Amino acid sequence: MGSEIIIACICVPLCGSFLLPLLGIINAKLRNFAALAFTVTAFLCAAFALPAVFDGSPLNIHFELPLGLSFGFYADVLAVFMALTSSFVASIIVLYSFDYIKPYEHQNEYYMMVCLFIGTMMGLVFSTNLIFIYIFWEISAICCWRLIGFYREEITIRRANKAFVVTVLGALIMLVGFVGIYGNTGTFDLAAMKGTHIPAWIVVLILCGVLSKSATFPLHNWLPDAGVAPSPVTSLLHAAVLVKIGVYIYARLFVNSLAIDKVFTVAVPVIAAVSALVSAGVALRENDIKRIIAYSTISQLAFILLGLSAGTEIGVLGGLLYILMHSVAKGGLFLCAGIVEHSLHTKDITKMGGLYKRMPLTALAFIFCAFSVMGIPPFGGFFAKYLVIDGIVSAGNTGLGAVFIAGAVMTILYLSRLFIKVFLGESPSRLEVKEGSPLMVASVLILAILSVALGLSISWPSGFVALIGGGI
Amino acid sequence: MQVIESSTVLIFAVPLVIFLINSLFSKRLAEKFSMGLAYVAPITQIVATAACFVQIAHLKQHDIIISWDLAGAVSMRFAVHTYSLVFLFCIALVSLASIMVANRTVPQKRTGFASLLMMLILGMNGIVMVTDLFSLYVFLEIVGISSFVLIAMFKSETGLEGAFKYLVMSVLASIMILTGLAFIFMQTGSLQYDHLEASALAGQSPTQLVLIYAAMILMIAGFAIKTGAVPFHSWLPDAHQSANTAVSVLLSGIVIKVAGIYGLIVITGFFGKLPGIKLTLFIMGTISIIIGALFALRQSHFKRIVAYSSVSQMGYILLGLSTVSMLGLLGAVAHVFNHATFKSTLFTNAAAVHEQTGTYDINELGGLEKKMGVTSFSSLAAFMSTAGIPPFAGFWSKLLIIMALWSSGARVFAAIALFASIFTAAYFLRLQRKVFFGKLRDQLAGITEIGGSVKLAQIMLTVVTIAAGLLFPFALLYFRGIGLL
Repeated sequence: MGSEIIIACICVPLCGSFLLPLLGIINAKLRNFAALAFTVTAFLCAAFALPAVFDGSPLNIHFELPLGLSFGFYADVLAVFMALTSSFVASIIVLYSFDYIKPYEHQNEYYMMVCLFIGTMMGLVFSTNLIFIYIFWEISAICCWRLIGFYREEITIRRANKAFVVTVLGALIMLVGFVGIYGNTGTFDLAAMKGTHIPAWIVVLILCGVLSKSATFPLHNWLPDAGVAPSPVTSLLHAAVLVKIGVYIYARLFVNSLAIDKVFTVAVPVIAAVSALVSAGVALRENDIKRIIAYSTISQLAFILLGLSAGTEIGVLGGLLYILMHSVAKGGLFLCAGIVEHSLHTKDITKMGGLYKRMPLTALAFIFCAFSVMGIPPFGGFFAKYLVIDGIVSAGNTGLGAVFIAGAVMTILYLSRLFIKVFLGESPSRLEVKEGSPLMVASVLILAILSVALGLSISWPSGFVALIGGGI
Repeated sequence: MQVIESSTVLIFAVPLVIFLINSLFSKRLAEKFSMGLAYVAPITQIVATAACFVQIAHLKQHDIIISWDLAGAVSMRFAVHTYSLVFLFCIALVSLASIMVANRTVPQKRTGFASLLMMLILGMNGIVMVTDLFSLYVFLEIVGISSFVLIAMFKSETGLEGAFKYLVMSVLASIMILTGLAFIFMQTGSLQYDHLEASALAGQSPTQLVLIYAAMILMIAGFAIKTGAVPFHSWLPDAHQSANTAVSVLLSGIVIKVAGIYGLIVITGFFGKLPGIKLTLFIMGTISIIIGALFALRQSHFKRIVAYSSVSQMGYILLGLSTVSMLGLLGAVAHVFNHATFKSTLFTNAAAVHEQTGTYDINELGGLEKKMGVTSFSSLAAFMSTAGIPPFAGFWSKLLIIMALWSSGARVFAAIALFASIFTAAYFLRLQRKVFFGKLRDQLAGITEIGGSVKLAQIMLTVVTIAAGLLFPFALLYFRGIGLL
């Protein structure tokens, strides 16, 4: 398989997205299937790149440009891993959207933005140049802005603007850092700067971008507010793709390419610890189903960041595995919340209860995904969580390890509380609730089953991730 | 060479001929056809400059001097650089957009508009092609006077106020520039560019430096007034608010850049190495960026927001110039081009919104996205470009400017300039939320999309903005090909 496969992986969703509004004018069904086809194509293309990657000969496209710029794509294990994870979950989300988004206006824009967003993600993970990474990063911010503002109400637009301003501000600060790297190395090309040691202030600047995109304390507060978006959007942005961009860049730059000061192996985990505890605490107090899951995302992202920044190989493995497990499980949780919200028309958990009788399959999917996020063995999340904490402990930071175990306990608490309030107990009689549409339920079940399957066959994903570790 | 020579003749001759035709024909006839005829000038100029770009790539030479010997008696020398070609292209593009807008917004005095526009184009072409400072001054006056009349001719009370403010400021600037020229002449004995290049800083006795510094203070202030940079910006929003929108397109799209920025490019080219000049421009640029953006956040008049945004964007161009390096100049010129496209787009949007709804007040608007899809999308693209959000064109020019600032050691200014982009994003989000996004107001239910030439202008400019953003790496390759990078 030649390197055209990467181009196809990026361009099919990226360029295809602009066709979707046109198809939408002709036929809504055609557009929906085209959107699904584009995302699935991205997944398949990434999968086709696997043999070459396993052979140890990553696919590579490269053009030199003036001023230390270059245009290129490079498919190594890390990139393909991210591409596979995000495009798979995104495909499920598109499938789920068919029924969810049907009653609303602006569907053409919705599918276009979702598809463009996935194309952007593909472009971002394969890019070999900081400037092109930045470009894709900002396109994703534009998509995010339009998608959060999907309902066009005053409040949703304000929230969308907030998300846009926070992430763009972070990105601008990061760009200063990129220019700083250029000042130090004379290039924006990742391969050319490999192994260079960069000063701490540049790392801090880039961290601002990472933290804002991955919604980590103190730049996290746009994420819960963005829950006003439709549920598939929240799932796509907050679970599967957008928030993973930040941690991916952390892995790509500071784990895979550049050398940074030792101090960050303590400083970043401390930030992550604060983020994990604060957001878990808030999740315990919230009553809005989507805000609880959103705060849970912030808390779990801290675990990922912890793994990647701990400075041990086992931590990095755990962090990467966590990206996969969290995408699948948290994606599932948001979609389940979407089903609940769709049939109850409320997000307030105090008005819910006893839903397991009315929607047993959703309840099942929810609890499976929740178990994975909590880190209950044998669900996938357990292994990732174990490795991450092992990583920080073997780096000699037992104290931080304990803090994160406390964070994990809080995760169990708030997710149990959520499950009990929503699905168990007395059902308020006034509600005429029924199970979500077959397509929506099927989507969440796929993610739920995958959460178990990835845990049961843990040797496969961890073996794959270990290959990345070899590259590091 | 042949291509470039004939192109330069064309871009001077065509506006002049159209001006004459407009004046010769009977009033009734001219009123009917002058607008159509006016299209010829910018279109010719676009084709001619495009031909020059191709020719320059062949010659691999980025500045070319052309001499005209008029009957052997008077010899006129013009020069074409890559960057003056970019200016020429922008002049044509913006003028084209302006005529397309004027088609709708200028119901009477069409001949007057067309003729003045031709004068304006001629003046601006002159500014970017002359090879001595005095000729530059002469063409500057042509531009100043014709734009004053353009602002004032569609008169309203506020219109007169804005135009008067512009006239006063513009005349003040001219006096300053002329005095500055005199000082330079006293020191160097010549105002020819090539003499200045050789002798500008040759004899560095203290008295002579005093003269040069006096000249610099006057000229930088003068050109900064023309640019509308802070603290000389006060005329710009007023002039825009009162001018017809077709004139606003011209004024913000190109006039402030040719009359102000180009002058500064020339000055910094000769005297930029003097200590203090760089710092002055750094500070002026940074303050313009921040103040302009903050003022834009507070406005509720569509055109005033866009006008203050111009002030802010001029700051970026000043920062690019202030590095006195090839990269900075390139970034500044690229930003001139991008600003010309996205700012004309925004004023065209303003015209479209005003034509359809009858108001410029963003608080009275809302939810126009559904009704005016083209306008909404093009304003979105233009604003994204203004805020420097990739993949739109504005990002690239800002990046070049930031890189130039960084490598010239002005890291703090680079960081400030980047962070200030967030203000740009903020005022653009505010405008989008109030005008296009959101729920449609009841009293706007009957609104339809604007048609005809204004719609066409929006589409044309948006295509240019997006294409410039996506194809910018090729522009970099082009600049490397002709030896600029």
